[in-house]
This record gives sequence, structure tokens and C-alpha cells, in this order.
Amino acid sequence: MAATDPRPASRRTPLTRRDFVKRTAVGGAAALAVGASRGRALAAASPHPDWIAASAKPPKRGGVLTRASAWDPPVIDPRLTQSVGLFQFVGLTSNRLVRYPFSDEASGPSDLSLKGDLAESWTASPDQRVWTFKLRQGVKWQNVAPLNGREFVAADVKYCFEQYAKEGVQAFTFQEIEGIETPDKHTARIHLKTPNSLFAQNVAEPVAVLFSKEVLEEDGDLKKRLIGTGPYIMKEHTRKVRVVLQRNPDYWDKGRPYVDEYVILSTPDAATRLAAFRTGQSDILWVASPSEADVIRKTNPNSLVQAYHNTLAPFGVALAQDRPPFNDVRVRRAISMAIDRQKMVDTVFEGHGILGWGVPYIYYQDTPPTAKDLGPWWQYKPAEAKKLLAEAGHPNGFETTLFYYEYFPQMTSQVQLVQQDLKKNLNITVKITKLDYTSYYGRYVEGKWDGMSWGFQSGHAIGLDERTYMYMHSKSTKNFFRVNDPVIDELTTKLRRTPDRAEQRAVAKKIVDREYDQVLRMWMPYDNGFMMFQPHMRNVASGALRRTDGYGSPTIARAWMEK
Amino acid sequence: MYKYVLRRLLLAVPVLVLSSLIVFGLMRVMPGDALTALMAESGNIGDKELKKLRKDLGLDRPYHEQYLLWVWQMVSFNPGDSIFTNEPIPVALRKAIPVTLELATLAIILGLVIAIPVGVLSATRQDSTSDYVGRVVAVSGLSLPDFWLGTLVITFAAIWFQWIPPIGYASLWESPWRNLQQFLLPAAVLGFRLSAATMRMTRSTVLEVLREDYVRTAWAKGLAGRLVVYKHALKNALIPVVTIVGGQLGTLLAGTVVVETIFALPGMGRLTVEAILFRDYPVVQTNVMLVAATLVTLNLVVDLTYAWLDPRIRYR
Repeated sequence: MAATDPRPASRRTPLTRRDFVKRTAVGGAAALAVGASRGRALAAASPHPDWIAASAKPPKRGGVLTRASAWDPPVIDPRLTQSVGLFQFVGLTSNRLVRYPFSDEASGPSDLSLKGDLAESWTASPDQRVWTFKLRQGVKWQNVAPLNGREFVAADVKYCFEQYAKEGVQAFTFQEIEGIETPDKHTARIHLKTPNSLFAQNVAEPVAVLFSKEVLEEDGDLKKRLIGTGPYIMKEHTRKVRVVLQRNPDYWDKGRPYVDEYVILSTPDAATRLAAFRTGQSDILWVASPSEADVIRKTNPNSLVQAYHNTLAPFGVALAQDRPPFNDVRVRRAISMAIDRQKMVDTVFEGHGILGWGVPYIYYQDTPPTAKDLGPWWQYKPAEAKKLLAEAGHPNGFETTLFYYEYFPQMTSQVQLVQQDLKKNLNITVKITKLDYTSYYGRYVEGKWDGMSWGFQSGHAIGLDERTYMYMHSKSTKNFFRVNDPVIDELTTKLRRTPDRAEQRAVAKKIVDREYDQVLRMWMPYDNGFMMFQPHMRNVASGALRRTDGYGSPTIARAWMEK
Repeated sequence: MYKYVLRRLLLAVPVLVLSSLIVFGLMRVMPGDALTALMAESGNIGDKELKKLRKDLGLDRPYHEQYLLWVWQMVSFNPGDSIFTNEPIPVALRKAIPVTLELATLAIILGLVIAIPVGVLSATRQDSTSDYVGRVVAVSGLSLPDFWLGTLVITFAAIWFQWIPPIGYASLWESPWRNLQQFLLPAAVLGFRLSAATMRMTRSTVLEVLREDYVRTAWAKGLAGRLVVYKHALKNALIPVVTIVGGQLGTLLAGTVVVETIFALPGMGRLTVEAILFRDYPVVQTNVMLVAATLVTLNLVVDLTYAWLDPRIRYR
């Protein structure tokens, strides 16, 4: 029968259970080996560029830009939330005093030079306490009632900043303002309570958008209407469905924006967002891993891909360092040395990730830190780690807890790898608790927990002041990692009084060196990811600190479509 | 009959009270509240301000006061506003209910359209190829979770046909064609699951009824096969099928949570899940009570359907 059987040979012999198990095991091992070598290969080089230069062609007007988005704004009042759901488009309806460069004027992803937004120029007094902003003339609020295209003046800045300071989540930033003078219609002079050379950066953040007095006074809040001076007018906001932004024909930056309508579609499921990009329903997509980018390129070979390189890691192991055993620096150092971060990058992030550091490196050096740059306590040295832990009085390890919220699926793998490394190398038993978002947030932010947490720094602000003083000073309400180090306090305060850029870099370097040496925040690897664009998109490249989606969406104001 | 309905309605009261206590208690047991979710994200809110906001929202009152206040709001048909979005709950429900209702109705129709003919076919051609195919499909429907099937459907639709349902909900009245495109696949995913159990039940009860004496008599009288199966056998086989369908409505509503998320439909499922995640107490409580009331009503309707299917059944 075998000689005349037309079926392929592989299908002729019946598969026994034993054969099946054997083949599965061999196949699985082979797949793992291929996966691991693939991770290393990808780590070596990404085939995608890390910057997409602005188009040399003259921009084309028109078109509807659509993006399937994971986020939905909880409320549209910028005083009440820092949710990415809101700030993925508020930077388009509203302006700030100053801003970071658009992709068509930036020299590359790391270009952080400040540009004027509603302010044409700005200066600080020698003591860095008085900041004078000269406003752009002829700027009008959007031609929507009750503003009806009224002129934007310095009194608007005063009113808005005072409201921010009064209540809401932006208050901490604006409460450092002592008072605001408006000597003329187009000048706002801001007096700070303490010197801060980085104040201009703070008001360049997307969360510092200017809103109008009329709407707040008429409605009592900003939950129903969002009217700004920005390039787009909010035409529709249907919760869990879409946000529609329409081109502002009276925008002060004449000729801009180029795209007529920007539609953000609420799409909570990642597979659906990916399918939407594949079928052309979405023009922009973020994917975390190289394999995802490759898979999409198979069906959409013409799509533009930008390999994103994170300049900081938002997550790390936070220790209750104000109490034993983590108040002992030797314990912190031992734990740090017992964790194999490179393995995490290679396996969890397929080689396309960073080892982990908290202050964006571009503020103190030109290239991403290597493992060596991070200092001795960040190297994977299990034997030395064990010795150090024994010196700290824990030769047999100890038991502790770790709670986290799964921000993305790979995080669970990371948490488990840390658990394994600590058990294997230090005999530290970590009991993991996975919480839902609100439970995690409440507990973490309250800051009274014991043991460990998978900690975070929020992504809404990118300035150096935010990443140093606000997150590390012992008196800051954003000091979630519970850093309480007099040297850090002194250095972060000094940084605020240092206007010179070169000196700022030197002080910032001292801060991170101190942080690494004392293992004050134990950063963990983080993915780099890829921005994907439909082939007709132009001038949409992501900057080093801001992607084109999310908080970096103001980029869209200069984007255009060639179709 | 009326007495029976009245008695069932009265029995629904303790069920609803118990449901209200459970959902109220569970929400309070969960750590964190809406303010934690909304405000604490920045770490900028001081304890003082949080306390003030909690007071404004009545979250600082004793639990029994909060419960009684909520019960009063429910019985006076004024469930209040969402803590998280400030949107009045009736407004949110008016937007979400039609979506879920349409999805569930289409899923039931699709499920029954598949399940009953295939079930009957399986039973009348027992142990044939079509029977085996039908049974394999039914077992698949029971085994494949909605989230997996939904993801698979949307991914392969994109790869093979370069098409997925248009994202951005459009109501049936606004744009019927767009609406149909948006609902067909999710309803098919939900309906497939519903059809599986219904099909298996239809098959086994039809098989059982086909062996009854009166069916044999019908055959012996020389009636046409289709008439025997559909007029004499099927109607009598439907009581357990109706019971199964009624029992699956709860599962169907639970399935909408996942399917609405995958297909980006702004229905009750997404509204409830988001409200749970952000501890939006009034929204969760209202939604759960609404679902509980719906299930109680549907079960009553199912019970009343028995009499229509079998006139021998009397309600006392």
C-alpha cells in the first residue's frame, strides 16, 4: 500500500503519543534556540532608522488623519488630569508659552532646544527668580463662542497659571509662582518663590497648555468645552468612540496646520489597533517589539518605520528604603547586582530595549549609557552580590513582597525574572502580588508600603527639573521612590539655580552618579519600540523624549499627507 | 398566570436587594477609589484636598448612609453622576444600552439561526459526517474563549481580506450599513459561543423526542419527514433548548465585555469594566443592578415561554 499511497510520506505513518511528545519537545527546544539567537541578532542592529527626516517637498494641504488610540480622555479639563487620553490631543487644541521643536525643525531625535509657542521670547533675571515672557502679537482664541476669536493677551496667562496653582493635578508646578505681573498686553512677568533656571522647560510641557477664562467662568469647570489658541478646534468628543479635531482656519501660524481633520478612534485592544493599521484605518501605530514590526511589514511593506530609542526607563524596582532591610545601601547594591538586566533585554524585549536609567541621558551625555557607565552596582555579579548581602547581615537571604500593576504584558515576565534572580542568587524570597490599576496606584502613591514595588515615574513631563528635583527631592510630592538623600537634595536644588547649559549637564551627571552609587532607584530594562506610519505620512518623526502619539501629539500640527 | 407573575416579581425583590448589597460591599472592599484613580496619578494632590473632594462626593460618609442614599437614588430613578467623568449616569446608559442590546440581539439571532438547524440536522442524521462536523463545531464553540476568537477573527480578517469592521461606532439610525458592518463580526463571535451549547441541546432533545411513540405514530401515518421533524418533534424538543438559551443570556452579557473591547464598541460591557477599574461606584452599582434586573426579567420571560411551547403547562 505504501508504494501506491499518494499522500506525502510525512502523513503516511500514524503519529503515536510518544512520537508526538518527542517531536513537540524537539520542536520547542529548536524554537527557543531560534528565538534566543534572533533576540541577540536583533540586539545587534535594527534595520529601521531612528529618525525620519522632514520631507524636502512643499507640504500639501488637506486630508483626514486617523489614529486608532488605546487611550480615552477621562475628562477634558487639563487642570484635573494628566491622563495621556487627554494630552494626546490637547497640545493641538491649545498652545503653551514655549515648546519643544517639531520634527521638521529639529536636528534629530535629541534636539531639545526650546522654541517659542505663544511667547516670542523669554528671559530670566540673573537670580533665576523672575521670568519675562514677551507674547506673540495677533494671536486669537479659536472662533468659537464664548471666545469668538478674541485676542490672546498677557492677562490670559496670569489667569490660567493662577487657576492651575489653585487646584488640580498641575498645582505643584504652578505653586512655585509667587505672582504674575502684566506690565502690558503682551508681556507676562512671572515671579518665582525660589530660583529655577529650568522654569521655561516646565511651562513647555504639554500639561501647561493655556485655557480660557471665559469658559471656566461660564461653566465652572472645563469639562464640557475645550477652546484654545491651537491649530485644531475640537469638533467632537464622544467618550469611548472618537475625538474629532478640525483645522483652525484662523490659526496664528499662517498656512498651518496642513491636515484638515484629525480623528482619534478609541480602540482599547492592541490587536484591533494593529489590524486597523494593516487595513489603512489608522495612519499611525506604536508596536513594542521588533517581531511585531517585522510581521506588519510583511503585509504593509511600504509603511514607514522609526526605531524609537528611549532615553529613560519609566519603571524600576522601588524599595521601601526608609526602613530595614532596604535602608542599608549594601542590601540595595546586592539586589541590584543580583539581577541580570541584559538577559531581560535579550529575552523580554527581543534585544530592542535599554538596560534602564531614570534621568534622560541626553541631559548629561551624548550617547546612551552602557552597562559600564552605570557603575559597579549595576553589573550582574551574583557572587559579589551574595557576599555583600552577607556583610549586611543577611547571609541566608530574607523574605519580602513585591506588588505591581501590569502596564504591559512583558512587565509580568520582568517581575518574574527579578523574583527568580533574587531567589537563585541571594536566597531572597519575593512574594508577588499583581494588583489592578487603582489598587496599585493608590497604594504606591500613598508611599506607606513595605518591601518592594514595581515603581514608576509618570510620563507627562520631560524636562530636567521634572526628572530630577520633582522626582528625587525628599520634599517633593512626586518622590515615589522615597529617595531621602541629602546629597541629592542639595544637587537637585543647585541644578535649579544653574542657568548655564554646560554646568547643568555637569550637575545632572553628578545627580545620576549619586543615584547609581547609592542605588536610590533601581531602574529596570524597558522596551524601545517602533513608530509605524502609513507611507503617505510626512513630518511625523518622534523626538527622543516624545513619540508622535500620546504626549507628543503636537507633532501632528506640522504633519502632512502625500496622497 | 397573573398570580404566578406577581409572585415571581415579588420574589425578584430580595434577589435585587441581595445583588445591591453584594455589589455595594464588593466595591467598598476593593482598595482605592475614583479620586485615587483620577487625581493621585500626578502625586500632586495633598491629603487635605483629597479629603475635601471625598467629602464633596459623599465618600467620607458611613457605609450604611452611602448605601441608603444610593438605594433611594435607584428607586427614584436618579442614579446620579459618574464620579470619574461627571456625566449623568442615565446619559451614559442611553448611549451604551442600545449598543449592547443590538449586539446581544444579533448574537442571539445568529446563534439560533446556526444552532437549531444544525442541531436538528445532527439529530436526524445521527452518526453521519454532517453530525460529526456539527458536533466538532459545537465543541469548538464551547472551548474557544471569546477574547481569543475575537482576536483571531479581527487579525485574520485584516491579513486575508484587508478589511476589518470600521472603527468608530455609528448608530443604526445614523448609518445602517456602517452599523451592520460594525456589528456582524462581533455578533458572530458571540453567537458562535451561544450556538454551541444550544446546538448540542437541540440535538440531544430532538433525538430523544424522535424516539417517542407519538412521533413513531406520525411516521406510521405517512406524514412527510420534514413535517414530522419540524412540526411534531421540534416544538416539543424546544423547552430544554429555551431553558439553555435563557441560562446563557448571562454568559452572553459577560461576553459582550470582551467583544466590545476588541471591536471598539461603546456598550455596557466597556462602560462597566472602565467603571470598575476606576472605582466609579455609582456607575458600577447602577450597571450591575440593571443587569440583575434584566436577567430576572428574562428568566421570567423564559419560564412564561414554556406555556406557549407546551399548552399542558399551567402556572399557579
